[in-house]
Amino acid sequence: MRRLFHHLAGAGTRLWSTAFGVAALAALAEAQGGKRWGPTEAASDYGYRFYDLFWLITILCSVSFAIVCILILIPALRDRARPGHKAKFDHGASLKDKRVTTVVSASVFLVLDAWVLVIAMTDLREAWWNIPDEEEPGVYQVEVLAQQWAWSFRHQGADGEFGTADDIIQINELTVPTDTSVSFQMTSKDVIHSLFLPEMRTKRDANPGAINEMWFKAIRSGEFTILCAELCGFAHYQMHGKLHVLEGDQFESWHEDASRLGIAAFDTEDEEAQWAWKWE
Amino acid sequence: MSGDHIHAEPTNFFRKHVFSVDHKVIAKQFLWFGLIWLGIGGLMAMIIRWQLANPGDPVPVIGSFLFPATDGVVDPATYNTLFTMHGTIMIFLGLTPLLIGCVGNWAIPLMIGARDMIFPTLNMLSFWSVFLGGAVGLYSLFVPMGASEAGWTGYPTLSTTVNGLGSGETLWAIAVFLIGASSIMGGINYLTTIIRLRAPGMSWGRLPLTIWGIFFTSILNVLFIPVIGSAMLLLIMDRVFGTTFYVPTSVMQGAGGGDPILYQHLFWIFGHPEVYILILPAWGIIGDLLSFFARKPAFGYRIQIAAMFAVTVMSAVVYGHHMFTTGISAMLGESFMLLTMIISVPAEILFFNWLHTLWKGNIRFTTPMLFSIGVIFVFGLGGLTGIYLATIGTDIFLHDTYFVVGHFHLTMAASALFAAFAGIYFWFPKMFGRMMNETLGKAHFWLTVIPLTTVFCLMFVMGYAGMPRRYYDHTSSEYLAALQHMNTAATHAAFILGAAQLIFVFNFLKSRWFGRPATDNPWEVGTLDWATPTPVPHYNFKVIPTVHTGPHEFSHPALGEDRDWISMTEPLPGAESDGPDLGGGAVPTPAS
Repeated sequence: MRRLFHHLAGAGTRLWSTAFGVAALAALAEAQGGKRWGPTEAASDYGYRFYDLFWLITILCSVSFAIVCILILIPALRDRARPGHKAKFDHGASLKDKRVTTVVSASVFLVLDAWVLVIAMTDLREAWWNIPDEEEPGVYQVEVLAQQWAWSFRHQGADGEFGTADDIIQINELTVPTDTSVSFQMTSKDVIHSLFLPEMRTKRDANPGAINEMWFKAIRSGEFTILCAELCGFAHYQMHGKLHVLEGDQFESWHEDASRLGIAAFDTEDEEAQWAWKWE
Repeated sequence: MSGDHIHAEPTNFFRKHVFSVDHKVIAKQFLWFGLIWLGIGGLMAMIIRWQLANPGDPVPVIGSFLFPATDGVVDPATYNTLFTMHGTIMIFLGLTPLLIGCVGNWAIPLMIGARDMIFPTLNMLSFWSVFLGGAVGLYSLFVPMGASEAGWTGYPTLSTTVNGLGSGETLWAIAVFLIGASSIMGGINYLTTIIRLRAPGMSWGRLPLTIWGIFFTSILNVLFIPVIGSAMLLLIMDRVFGTTFYVPTSVMQGAGGGDPILYQHLFWIFGHPEVYILILPAWGIIGDLLSFFARKPAFGYRIQIAAMFAVTVMSAVVYGHHMFTTGISAMLGESFMLLTMIISVPAEILFFNWLHTLWKGNIRFTTPMLFSIGVIFVFGLGGLTGIYLATIGTDIFLHDTYFVVGHFHLTMAASALFAAFAGIYFWFPKMFGRMMNETLGKAHFWLTVIPLTTVFCLMFVMGYAGMPRRYYDHTSSEYLAALQHMNTAATHAAFILGAAQLIFVFNFLKSRWFGRPATDNPWEVGTLDWATPTPVPHYNFKVIPTVHTGPHEFSHPALGEDRDWISMTEPLPGAESDGPDLGGGAVPTPAS
């Protein structure tokens, strides 16, 4: 039932937004010569859910706000103070009137809220918070260490373990495969940061002293954006990086090369570099 | 009721104008104080907007004076200071003093028919405490390493010493603590005054909605300001005495054991009610003003009170929606999402009651009325966009983007500001005995509401496009550089908005000294504040009035054709006696 609800809403909003949002914004962008008025196309498998929900809420809110504006405009135009005109006295005149106003408006809003809520719950359970189990085969794992002002990403080498000599460490660059669930564990060395991948439509805080989890599955290859979304000091705005999503084969060869380079660069004396942890 | 709060009229200048215990003088002190800080905070917003549209360019005109070390360029650390202090100043030193300090002090005794606040000395202390808080905040701008750079939310561990922010951060925490102390003192005073000093016949069911709004706000102030006070004390301890309440072991190497998320819980347990602390008086004021100028009773008076009560009760159990990306459990996240959705219902009930108040009225489009309708408009936009942020599926992307900035500016900033303007335009004649200029007032309204809506609606689009907030320079990222055109447009609109406020400043100052003299009741409304002579005498009421009717009996059929309003002190013509003798006038006029 919930799924049906979700699909119906999804189909409905996609229809609307294509006609309404994208077309208008794309036309605007065209006229503006490449200036952007919205996010670039989603690159994760759950990215469409943000889009659907955003435009569903936009439609519901636009209708509600239009009603509010009309209900301001009508009396503003019709009931202006003028000689000989009197206000309608309705004080205590009709308790029924008040009850109707309250009950009708409240139930309309409750239905609207419930509609959005049900879809959001489904989305969370099926997508954002459906973080793959680390035991699950085929999940690609990445450890993230944030610090002022850089992102460090750690990949397992061929041994399938973190904290060993063949680990790959990338700074402000992250390379992941397409069509694979990529699972992140993240923490921070100093202050709170937030890993924001706009094209993947996801974001999670990296807190010092705790490990947070996040995941996505990229559906197309390309070069994407890494941003920091939580104020972390004066160079906060420069704490960005590149997310490279590679097709299966390309990724395999990248991984092999990088792992070899990782072994060559491994230095047991460098305590700063030994920041891996065991997943549990 | 005892007459302890009644005090003789002071004769010496300091007791009369500076350390006054008279609620009317204190209200005016809060007014000037709030307006000056609003100006400072507004100027900071203009510099922020300049930097966003022209990253790294020297600020014109005032730049070389304000930032001589960098030839007028805002550097990244200064930029962080600017948005931190802009938020702190606007919330704690601008809007709170105007809406709660000024309107509360002015309206409570006059509207409930009392001679002063019940604790006049505490009232004076409340003003001087916020004054001290403001002074500490102002001083922090000039210490080495500058004022706080950790955002108005001051999240650890950015705000703790590990990151080397200067003493400005400590001073910020002390300032917030002092301002909080002022709000608690005000809250206790307001609650006690409203409960104890209502004039005979002023039953709870006849209290103006303004007073109801301030009453609920005071409850929230008394309950939740202590929470931010505690959070600030722990932060001060961490910074000054080396404790680690908020600092985890991994950051302190060996010491630590604290948790930065603890601060976020404490901050938002206060921080979300704070939104309602500012908006409840605003709702109350416009609930009254819409009725006053539509010449119609406030529709669903009791339902409006019930809705405000529901929001008050729920305000503290929705705060988790500020923390959806911190890693709170799925169960907590979903619960907070559900609760946040539910709190939209009483707010929306208020909307329909306001709209119903306008319906078939005889609407006088005065400046206070325009600003009241403006509140419905901007709060409508702000409130509805809250749904995107309450819904975790959309919030994950929108969190910490400009979408949030647009949303909270429309709800707590613009709505509260519009209600404060409505209140100032409305009570100005009683406060200063002169009318404000209506033409300038209307120009001020239209030149405020249009650019304001433009600025914050552009921010919704920026946030939807993925632009994070608190960025010094968006062009440093390729992804964000393509959105820079919206920053430029928003800045142009913001400059118009800023310039329009000069109309208000001019109108306010000119009318204060040269305005047309006001009559006792220029708006023709029935509440007790307008039953006093203008200017209001030291004791407000020569004889404590007896209340016979509700605050919104406009256009009552019993009033006949000649007038459409009745003072609360008059019984309705032809009405039966409204009960036993209520003993009005029993409190003697003190000898002055």
